[in-house]
Amino acid sequence: MAWRSLRKTSLFDVLLIIGLTALALFMLLPIIFIFNHAFKPLNELFLFPPTFFVQHPTTHSFEQLFLKSGGDVVPFTRYLFNSILVTSVTLLLVIVFSSMAAYVIAKKSFPFKSLTMALILVSLMFAPETVQIPRYLIISGIGMSNTYFGHILPYLASPVAVFLLIGFISQIPNELIEAIKLDGASEAGIFRRLILPLSAPAIATISIFTFQGVWSDIETSSLYMQDETMRTLAFYVNSLLSGLHNSVAGQNIAAAAGLLIFMPNLIVFLLFQKKVLATMVHSGVK
Amino acid sequence: MGSITFKHVYKQYKGEASPSVNDFNLSVDDGEFLVLVGPSGCGKSTTLRMLAGLEDITQGEIYIDDKFINYTSPKNRDIAMVFQNYALYPNLSVYENMALGLKLRKTAKHDIELRVTRAARILEMAHLLEKKPNQLSGGQKQRVALGRAIVREPKVFLMDEPLSNLDAKLRAQTRAELIKLHSTIRTTTVYVTHDQVEAMTMGTRIVVMKDGIIQQVASPHELYNAPVNLFVAGFIGSPQMNLVKGSITRQDGVNYFVNKRLKLPIPIEHAVYLKNNDFRQRQVVLGIRPEQMTVVTGENRGNEQWTVNAVVELMELMGADTFVYVSLGDNQLIVRMEAHTEVRVGDNVQVQFNMNKSHFFDQNTGGSLRVQGDAGA
Ligand SMILES: Nc1ncnc2c1ncn2[C@@H]1O[C@H](COP(=O)(O)OP(=O)(O)OP(=O)(O)O)[C@@H](O)[C@H]1O
Ligand SMILES: [Mg+2]
Repeated sequence: MAWRSLRKTSLFDVLLIIGLTALALFMLLPIIFIFNHAFKPLNELFLFPPTFFVQHPTTHSFEQLFLKSGGDVVPFTRYLFNSILVTSVTLLLVIVFSSMAAYVIAKKSFPFKSLTMALILVSLMFAPETVQIPRYLIISGIGMSNTYFGHILPYLASPVAVFLLIGFISQIPNELIEAIKLDGASEAGIFRRLILPLSAPAIATISIFTFQGVWSDIETSSLYMQDETMRTLAFYVNSLLSGLHNSVAGQNIAAAAGLLIFMPNLIVFLLFQKKVLATMVHSGVK
Repeated sequence: MGSITFKHVYKQYKGEASPSVNDFNLSVDDGEFLVLVGPSGCGKSTTLRMLAGLEDITQGEIYIDDKFINYTSPKNRDIAMVFQNYALYPNLSVYENMALGLKLRKTAKHDIELRVTRAARILEMAHLLEKKPNQLSGGQKQRVALGRAIVREPKVFLMDEPLSNLDAKLRAQTRAELIKLHSTIRTTTVYVTHDQVEAMTMGTRIVVMKDGIIQQVASPHELYNAPVNLFVAGFIGSPQMNLVKGSITRQDGVNYFVNKRLKLPIPIEHAVYLKNNDFRQRQVVLGIRPEQMTVVTGENRGNEQWTVNAVVELMELMGADTFVYVSLGDNQLIVRMEAHTEVRVGDNVQVQFNMNKSHFFDQNTGGSLRVQGDAGA
């Protein structure tokens, strides 16, 4: 009788897999579409009925995007440079600051520890919109408008990241920390050789959402940057899209720009997601 | 070099009503293998952790080689510790686990390699060096933890129940290997266990603790044969020493241990310390080890005066021995016999006390009359 129930479940599995695959493909359609759209030559955009797949792919729209950006004075590459700089510095600092804070909160005792925890918890509950005005006042008050600090600073304190890491680091057995202490590690050594590597899965998760948040953020550019040369790619793409309205001719450029915003997100996700899974499987921490 | 001295060391955890370690005084010689033993929660780990620098010392002083180390940070105490759960760095290979301590102390690379491979050879785990801790069995992890300690060549090894996660066979085997290892490298070792068998087989000197207080510091032989109080008497030895309440009277120049069921003459060797203790005023406890009792059979009658009637309640065959549980009024006593015995459960038997090997304790204080009497004499 065993083979029968086996076949029954496997039939169910097959149906499930087919169903889910179909759903996944359906969800993938917009991405495939934007891919094709970005590589379409101008004449294909005007075809009627519109085509889904590109017939004669060209990098024309990317060239346009890179070399000259419509009538704008700021070249596309400047936005790109700003974005890369801001995102990478922010990401690095968020990881360093969050994990340091989380290590201390998870493993050390100090005065007002529970108050500190409570404050972090409370700051988790604020909707970003509610702090926009005070943030603006602070940033412009200390003269950080139109500097890279204005992009980076608002993101540095990441309560979500700290919270996630506290949960993770508090599961590292105290004996490990004591063992490495006896082995001769300083506090910095404990942090660098033990806490950071063992928090890799949590750091990977944080990296994914911090990268996506900062890379696609337009708030800092639109609120704190009046100087166009200091604004980021996401802001540029956003204004490009809203400037297009319903004109057909710019669609491929918009798609190309959208793709450039989207691709790093995807790459970072795939890169770190693998790390998340790998460390979960191999971690010897119970 | 690595001698250790504790002087009036106390530890009281924050918010605790009583100290977890109470007036701890001890000297450990260089090269000694000292065992700290006691029931769960008696403060063994706390003592060890104070020595390692992982726990603050509430009061008192600790010295290593005459150097006052109360405020020395753990990394500067030149101590290596083996933890109960091994505490191997999960992100590092076995080799890196062993090398890290040396690396952090800026040892030259070729020297690290030399020491790690030598330790791996001693512990027969050269083939494991490339593996990660989660690819090892419990016994192998234990070896790596040991290897990590010995490559450092520290002044002192601390081990906190390092064998308790191993199965019985591996534990016995590792126990023997640890002793062998200590006889080769001769590093001062403080070894914590709650298992008295482990303590008796490994320690050259044993510290028995209870409720944070040292009960007795002695060799295994002395602990077994001259326990200073009821606690040590009951804690050391398996099966437990038999303890029977009663009092001592003197008739016609002979001391007798008496209670409702018994009247046993006490040999003359015990007379001096009993007299020094003013025994007639006291309620006492007679202690006698299971192997100092026998079930009397037909021809071998021994001393008739030390023989009483009892009923066999239970028998446990332990391979070479049989533990015979007999009831004697309110008391249940254990008699250790050979495996092959004619005795059956339910039998009415005669059991004999070898009173030459008896111990007497004060019922109120628990102290041994022999020790108190000798001190008073
Ligand atoms: N961090 C702590 N805070 C408060 N009390 C503690 C702390 N650590 C230990 N204690 C208390 O101190 C006493 C001694 O603990 P310790 O860990 O030294 O016992 P132990 O002899 O090692 O026992 P075991 O054999 O179970 O390991 C216990 O009563 C315990 O409750
Ligand atoms: Mg303990």
